[in-house]
Formats: sequence, structure tokens, C-alpha cells
Amino acid sequence: MLYDLRRSDARVRWLVTLLLATLGVAYVFGAWMVGMYAGFTPRSVAATYVEPSMMNMSMPAETTTVVEHDVTLEDMGHEEQHQVDRALLIQDTHVHVPMYGVIAALLSIVALGLAIPRWMGFALITLLFAAPWLDFMGMWLTKLASPRFAIVTLAGGWAMGLGYTIVAALAFWQMWRPEKGAQQ
Amino acid sequence: MRILILGAAAAALLHITPTVTLVDRSEVVARLLQGADRFTAREVHLSSSDERRLHDAAGWTPPDDVITFYLGKRADQVDGVLVFMRVDSPHGPLEVAVGFDKAGAIRGVEVTKATVETKPWIVEALRAGLTSQYRGTAANAPSAAATTVKGKVGMMAEYMAELIDRGVAHAGASYRLFYR
Repeated sequence: MLYDLRRSDARVRWLVTLLLATLGVAYVFGAWMVGMYAGFTPRSVAATYVEPSMMNMSMPAETTTVVEHDVTLEDMGHEEQHQVDRALLIQDTHVHVPMYGVIAALLSIVALGLAIPRWMGFALITLLFAAPWLDFMGMWLTKLASPRFAIVTLAGGWAMGLGYTIVAALAFWQMWRPEKGAQQ
Repeated sequence: MRILILGAAAAALLHITPTVTLVDRSEVVARLLQGADRFTAREVHLSSSDERRLHDAAGWTPPDDVITFYLGKRADQVDGVLVFMRVDSPHGPLEVAVGFDKAGAIRGVEVTKATVETKPWIVEALRAGLTSQYRGTAANAPSAAATTVKGKVGMMAEYMAELIDRGVAHAGASYRLFYR
């Protein structure tokens, strides 16, 4: 194959390095944001995406009901669990999926330049695209089918991190390993 | 490649930025339910017919068919009512707190949450005196404070003011139909 990052022009390697570094920063802050709003446990992810009707809230169809209970000032100031309703999830899916596709494509282009077996290339590209699919599939299944599918979203998130880590580690190693620099 | 770059730029532009807290809820409670010594949460779970009634009145239904009114009581008498309203926009959600006095007039309006992107626009609208326009108006009065800042602020701040108006209108309709 003509495209090989190990033998590529230094400018190409520099571009790939900066791209991976930038995506890495984005992933770190993405994980931070997920930690703030949805959490990393199946329970907290389920609480973020599940439909309220699945959470022990029997909604009377024909009668409006009123429930009153005393609250403290602290209770009222307490931030509720961030929830993503169906409208927001539609919007999130619409804006995130194209961006995830572009990121997976960019990482796949980097992966194509790695000196790895053909099957591993296929597996890596599949992982890069499967991760966001799992992520959003999990969110929708949690909302529409069962809170148990929160685990799929978590799997998607970890798969995204794993895919990036594999591509970045192999690319950095193959592009900048010391002996290569010494040869030049 | 050009399509790829344009796609990335479009996705970046459409991306909703994280939520930021402009004012803590506890501070808002202290201001809009000032003097209350006891608080009660009244959760109104709407039936489908009441949901339609609210939709006809305000063009809106609450996300989970539940409206929560926070009642501030003094000597066991309701002294004021507070409701938090989320308003969605393509730039992300914002949250408006609307406090009513015991006569049903608006005691105050505060924007509690915005997004990183919308915060400067909202702050601009607030600095132009948007929220002071609501004070003393009746729950059934049309929310038109946004028109008072028109021309004094930028285009996006005007848009944010319209969203805040919308939140106040939703709160007013909820209060009028399901609290009083």
C-alpha cells in the first residue's frame, strides 16, 4: 500500500499528530462532560435517558393528579439528575452522529496508514464506526425499550475511547519511534 | 475532502454547548420566595385533556406532563409560588425561574441556566433590563418584555429575550390553569 505513515512526509506525520492530539483533548473533555451530566454507571445513564413512565410513575390518562410534599431549601437548590427527553435526544442524535461519523472517518484514514495486518485494519475501522452507533443505539433503546440498555451506551463510550487509544498509540509509535528518527 | 471539511464545520456549528448555571436555584428561591419559612412542592401530573388545554392556551406541553410548583409559606399561609421552566432552542436549553406573589402577579423572573454559547447573549439581554419588565404583571398578561429590549441589544440577545418571554408565558399559563 502506498499510504504508510512510517514512510510519510514529516508534514503528514505532523498533521496526523496534531489531529490526534486535538481529538484526544476533545475526548478528555467529552468524558468530563459525560461524567458531569450522565455519569459512568448504568444506573445514572439510565436515569438520564429513560422515559419517566418507566420510572415508577404511573401516569393517569384521564385525570390530572396533584401530589404535595414538603421540601427544604436545600432540596429545592439541589440539582436534579440531568435528563434528556425525546425531543432533546432527537436533536442530540441529529447533531452528534454526523460529527462522530467525521471523527471515525478521520481516525480510519489514520488507521489506513498504520503498519498492521489487513484483518486488524478492518477490525479497527469497524470498532471506530461501531462505537458511536452503540452509543446512540443504547440511548434510544434505554429510552424506548428498557433502562437495562444503558450498558450499551456505556459500552459505546468505552469503545470510542478504546478505538482512539489504539489508533493514537500505534500512530505515535510508528511515526515517531526513536530509531526511525535516528535513521533520518 | 471538501465535503468532509464542510460536514465537520457544519457539525461543529450545530453542536450544543454544555449547560452553565447563571444563578443557583437556592439563591433564586431565597430571592423569589423571600420570607418563607416552609416550602412545599406541588406536582401536577396532567391528564391528556389538561395537556391539550395547556397546549391550546400556551402552545406548549411540559416534557414529562408534570408541572412542579414550589410554594413558599409563612405562618402556614402561601406567600408566593415559584416555577422553573425549561425552554429549548437550537442553541441548547435555558431555564427560567418565575416567581408569583400571593395575588398571582409576577414577583420576579430570573434565568438560572444557559449554555456556554447562549450565556453572553442572555447576559446582554438581562443587562438591558429585560427581567425587570415582568415584575408586577399578571399571570395571564401577554409576555412581551422582549419588545422592550429590541434595538438595544444584538440580534441573538433579542432572540434569547424572546425565548425568556416564552418561558414566562408557559409559567403564566401553567399557574393560571393549574395552580389557582
